[in-house]
Amino acid sequence: MYGGGYIPEEEKRKQQHMEEDPAKLAEFEARIDNGEKIEPHDWMPAEYRKQLIRMIEQHAHSEIIGSLPEGTWITRAPSFKRKMALIAKVQDEIGHGQLLYNAAETLGKSREQMMQDLLTGKSKYSNVFNYPAKTWADVAVIGFLIDAAAIVNQVANSKGSYGPYSRALERICYEESFHLKQGHDAFVALATGTESQRAMLQDAVNRWYRPIIHFFGPSDKDSVHTGKLMRWKVKMMTNDAMRNQFLSSYVPKVWELGLSFPDPKLHKDDNGEWHFSDPNWDEFYQVIKGNGPCNAERLAVRSWVETQHKWIREALFNPNAKYTLPLS
Amino acid sequence: MDSLDPRIARLHDIRAGEVPTVGAHDYGETYEVFHQAKRGKHHAHVGTVHAPDPELALVYAKEQYGRRQQTVNMWVVRTADIFAFPYDDSDMFDSTPQKIHREAAGYKTRDKIEAYKKKQAQ
Amino acid sequence: MEATQELLFKIADDALIMGHTDSTWTGLGPTLEEDIAFSSMSQDKIGHAWNLYQMLHDKFGLADADTLGFKREEKEYKCSHLTEVPTQDYAYALVRQFFFDHGQFMRFSALKNSSIEWLADFSRKVTSEIKYHTLHGDTWLKKLGAQGNEESKARMQSAINEVFPLALGYFEEGPREAELIEKNIFIGEKALQEAWLEKVGDLVAQYGLTLPEGNTVDPSLGGRNGYHTEHLQPLLAEMTEVTASDPEATW
Ligand SMILES: [Fe+2]
Ligand SMILES: [Fe+2]
Repeated sequence: MYGGGYIPEEEKRKQQHMEEDPAKLAEFEARIDNGEKIEPHDWMPAEYRKQLIRMIEQHAHSEIIGSLPEGTWITRAPSFKRKMALIAKVQDEIGHGQLLYNAAETLGKSREQMMQDLLTGKSKYSNVFNYPAKTWADVAVIGFLIDAAAIVNQVANSKGSYGPYSRALERICYEESFHLKQGHDAFVALATGTESQRAMLQDAVNRWYRPIIHFFGPSDKDSVHTGKLMRWKVKMMTNDAMRNQFLSSYVPKVWELGLSFPDPKLHKDDNGEWHFSDPNWDEFYQVIKGNGPCNAERLAVRSWVETQHKWIREALFNPNAKYTLPLS
Repeated sequence: MDSLDPRIARLHDIRAGEVPTVGAHDYGETYEVFHQAKRGKHHAHVGTVHAPDPELALVYAKEQYGRRQQTVNMWVVRTADIFAFPYDDSDMFDSTPQKIHREAAGYKTRDKIEAYKKKQAQ
Repeated sequence: MEATQELLFKIADDALIMGHTDSTWTGLGPTLEEDIAFSSMSQDKIGHAWNLYQMLHDKFGLADADTLGFKREEKEYKCSHLTEVPTQDYAYALVRQFFFDHGQFMRFSALKNSSIEWLADFSRKVTSEIKYHTLHGDTWLKKLGAQGNEESKARMQSAINEVFPLALGYFEEGPREAELIEKNIFIGEKALQEAWLEKVGDLVAQYGLTLPEGNTVDPSLGGRNGYHTEHLQPLLAEMTEVTASDPEATW
């Protein structure tokens, strides 16, 4: 799963001043216009590299941190089918992290460094995973709606210009279709179940509504920066376009089950554009800063993983190990 | 730690705010993974694993790259041991029309045979 | 007939509870690759349990698999103590897995020759899956034992010392053991334990570690007769927390 690709303002200002060799830049851009992919050892503008590392790294972190809210219910999943599906799904998310860290590594940042930056808070991950999964219904909402949102994002990005990222996303999207199916199945089971199941599900939908609206990030269609990233096929759709696509596909699927979203203004206009109440972007920025309900726990868990297994790394440490960037 | 996840609530020694140092080679080296779907097919490159040695790299390759696909065999090789052309040189793979001697279509014998047969018949 | 049910229940309960306790590592494994591998093995085990409960339902007309797996009283479970213990230390998790999976591999290998055709069939499929589990366990014991450093050797050895009595309890005989042997359904726990001890003894020695002397160890018994460690009751309560919240519902 994934969201956003959030870029802080100060970062945007810094990047406007990078100068590149015009001939090389022209060749690079021609390749992209031609629909060709960029491969790891190709010449690329420094900013392209930097933005891709940031984006793929954030995506990778989102996968492994994203496994934690759903992991909350692994030991309590209510049947063999749900138990197996949930463990397999969480496993896939770890696998997605693995594939994405590899893709980011081809650009020159090691997995170790990325992990370090996650733990110190320097690198970000999708905000949505800083919210708690309070009941079993949260698992259904995450598996259905958050994975659906992630799919919108990932399908778009899989058509991007960087070869290793596209390849990783192709496989990821294939697995995400299973996530969405099993999530929808669990969601429908609750929606068509007993009164208490429906109530539990409606409560979960209510709590996840705002994080879902936040998922694609604030509007960026007017940003110069977005224009350049889209020109280079780093970003394939604006945040608004992705959000609109998501709402078009999935809001009706929730409504058809007689469930509602806690927003009286949520509707589609005659041009196919969705409208919603102000989702309080302040909260979004607060969570990015580390002040969401679960930020501290999420990072504490990943820190525990590193600390707890230090002895294994030391035992297996090979003094002759050579660091090589993965090839593709 | 106070957590909604009973698995995490039970962990000893978990503390918020303590950041461990991740060592430069903590995840070992990378190995390139080659996957064979069927006997008779080539092994194809499918991705990379981090592992401390080739044996564990194979153990990991099986689950990360084989768990959803039909598989009969896998290879792993240290990334450091792979030699590759730079993409800068990829123009040397462009082929010119003179290379027709390598293509089946470059050989047209039927005309000659027909001409020969006609001559014999006369 | 009852003897066969008893056999299936203990194998299924072992697989379910082992898979369940191992699933506590999914998302928290030492590296991403190891996390994925360990999670697969946990899923395999829960899958074996699911299959076996399904057989109890199909062949003997018992309740459906979910009811058998999730809704029995603690006393009715026949899992061994080895499967019930929580693991927070990866050395302990690996050693437990190593002992258990060699046991499972040999148990299902023996069952390939069972006089019950469908059980023999199932066992053939399962052994090929468990082969990977033993490869995983063997590789890790070797890496952290013979090929590891002082600390890893010490950690693995102390895990072996701690887990071994639990592992011996895996071979506790059930009440209808004699009937199973007589009808050639299963070779029996004694024969299985003997073969297992030889195998894991050899491997552990190869990996630069030692197995405690058998006669100095008190096997942790009771599981096969419904007497469990203090861990099982809370584990089951957690596992069924959601279903218990609305017993009428399907999930
Ligand atoms: Fe997913
Ligand atoms: Fe994912």
